[in-house]
Amino acid sequence: MTTYRFDKKSGRLTRRDFMGAGIGAAAAIAAGPVYLRHARAQDGPIKIGFPAPLSGPYSSEAQDQVRCAQIAVDLFNEAGGLDGRMAELLVRDSKLDPGEAATRTLELIESDGVHFLCGGLSASVQLSINQVASQRGVIYNSISQSDSINEASDFTKYTFHEAMNPTMTAGSVGRYVFPNHGKRVAFLTADYAYGHEMVRGFKRAGEEFDIEVVAEVSHPLGQADFSTFFPRIQAAGPDVLICSNFGRDQLNTIKQANDFGIKQQMQIAYPVLLFTQRVAGGAQAFEGIIGGTNYYWRLEEDHESAKRLNDAYRERHDGGVPSDYGAYGYAGIYGLLEGAKQAGSTDADGVIAAMETMRYDAYKGEQNFRKCDHQAVQSVLVIQSKPEAEIEGEYDLFNVVHTDNGGEEMLRSCEELGHET
Amino acid sequence: MSSKAERNALDVDRTGEQRQVRMPALIDLIARHRVLAAIVFLMVLPWATPYEALAINILIFGLYAIGFNLIFGYAGMLSFGHAAFFGLGAYGCGIPIAKFGFPWFVALPLGVAVAGLAAAIIGWLAIRARGIYFAMVTLALSQIVYYVVFQWVSLTGGEDGLRGVAVNSIDIFGLRLNMLDPMTKYYAILVIVAVALWLFSRILNSPFGGVLEAIRENEKRAAACGYDIKGTRWLAFLLSGLFSGLAGALYAMHLSVVPIETLHYFNSAIVVMMALLGGMGTFFGPFLGALVYLLLEDIITVITVHWQLFVGALFVFLILFFPRGIWGSLLHWMKQ
Repeated sequence: MTTYRFDKKSGRLTRRDFMGAGIGAAAAIAAGPVYLRHARAQDGPIKIGFPAPLSGPYSSEAQDQVRCAQIAVDLFNEAGGLDGRMAELLVRDSKLDPGEAATRTLELIESDGVHFLCGGLSASVQLSINQVASQRGVIYNSISQSDSINEASDFTKYTFHEAMNPTMTAGSVGRYVFPNHGKRVAFLTADYAYGHEMVRGFKRAGEEFDIEVVAEVSHPLGQADFSTFFPRIQAAGPDVLICSNFGRDQLNTIKQANDFGIKQQMQIAYPVLLFTQRVAGGAQAFEGIIGGTNYYWRLEEDHESAKRLNDAYRERHDGGVPSDYGAYGYAGIYGLLEGAKQAGSTDADGVIAAMETMRYDAYKGEQNFRKCDHQAVQSVLVIQSKPEAEIEGEYDLFNVVHTDNGGEEMLRSCEELGHET
Repeated sequence: MSSKAERNALDVDRTGEQRQVRMPALIDLIARHRVLAAIVFLMVLPWATPYEALAINILIFGLYAIGFNLIFGYAGMLSFGHAAFFGLGAYGCGIPIAKFGFPWFVALPLGVAVAGLAAAIIGWLAIRARGIYFAMVTLALSQIVYYVVFQWVSLTGGEDGLRGVAVNSIDIFGLRLNMLDPMTKYYAILVIVAVALWLFSRILNSPFGGVLEAIRENEKRAAACGYDIKGTRWLAFLLSGLFSGLAGALYAMHLSVVPIETLHYFNSAIVVMMALLGGMGTFFGPFLGALVYLLLEDIITVITVHWQLFVGALFVFLILFFPRGIWGSLLHWMKQ
């Protein structure tokens, strides 16, 4: 019971006055011109939302993605846009947190009225952006590895996946490594979705070669000390050690593997060998390591599209070259804008239809989106880190030892993913 | 003698009068009708935030911080495991919707119930410990919850988080509310938060609320007066868990995903910061703390990627110079 400490006659506002005012205010709010809906305009600039983990452990990869995404927007605008409609990139920090990413995606759709979404590093973040975007009918082109996003439970017609997925990445690396370096295989795996999905991809590829798994060791994400893991792996005597981890974990395993003399005993391979980590770790530590990648800047020797991206990057960023994950940012935006161009509008259904049928050369040769799961069918490069003596310049880090020219046979079939056929 | 007494009486009168003049009618009224005042404030909030989704986050984390404050500010026990209740509320509401197609009005109470059950068990175990040990026990038990949910991939989505908590519209008495419209969603959630705030205020005003504060101030004396210390604490912990669980369930409906991060101990720490920032042991302080924290984080993030540095520095500044928190300091200043 509310107690009245003062006399009501003292001229103060009473509860009744207050209730009246409150109800009045509520009615005004409910009945008023409510608020301006930011409907997605069919004219004016083409807005593309880009949530990326600018702060946190993947910030160096994310910042390069933003640089490359901006290049894609700039080149589109320089070429005249969509009949004069210019594109605009709206970057938000997802903080590598799916909740924050979902909130930022809501902001981009509801307040900024974006036409498309791109970005989202890490599996859980991209799945959360995908959920929010597809519920609201906004096309999202994901540029980070995930197998789940292709599966029927997460896929919607608004979902596109420009990045490679673990099945195709690990498959290509496995098909190169197993016949060339041996069939006794050990796995050292970061204990989260990325690591497990990669191992699944390697085992799938290994069936063809009858590989023998001699050791399987998991380590927590962000492990600093690997000294307890290596003796177990050495005791098993594998031909190949596959380390399925990402970011700084990658650098730490390589440095400590050198200390243990692992490199002399077996071939080390990574599903994704990162450009940024190789730069941080140096040539000596990485010498001879094999891994997969979506992009290496020297593709420009064979592909005009790669040269176009590299030149634009060099011009804007002191002669540097785009990293592998950075290039995804370019390709993701390129795909969306190419779709809009071919559809002649930003209307979602039209753009989806165009993207499903178009063949595009964003940055490394021709690609297309498979119709059932909108996975970008693309080439996978297998690279090997160069020894110091062979390096010819600051960014000359890898030899491309094999190129898997993309085909749908590298992907899980549509039925396997649960799509209707 | 008599003149002195008269003068004293006059003094008292005058100061009384002065206080009446200094403390305007509105503030007095707000103090008397705190729930109503809070609701009026929250009704205009979405016009003051940069975008609606942030305003909804403020509602949800405000409720979470208020629930947490029952055990932290009013019972004087620092729990470091409240993420478990927030997260279980979210999963408890999200899983029935995403995996079994339950309607939201069944899923929402289910989420609160799951959080309540966890709070009953964790509370029963934890109230035996005091101070830092209490904090450690709650932290350890909430980590167990985290790992169970993390490993149970088929039900929870594990690392990838739970997706598909799609509440696109809700029907109330023939009225269809489009939950994809941000303003409609805000006011729909505000209705639930308002009821929770009213309930919370009733709990604080009840004899139970008084006993809780008595125990915080002097446990032995409260025991000597015949109050059941353990029972009261356990009940406070349970109620606190229920409010946190409701916040979590609303979070699941708001974002349509439940990230595993909701159960992470960082989410337990954030609510301590919010409660401290706003003012522990005050009714509306923690809500204000959540508002300031989320708003600042959001605005600073747009300017620099080093947002943690600025939020951290501000936090240290406030703790050093305004230990009562923002709302606590304001109330203290107005009372003088």
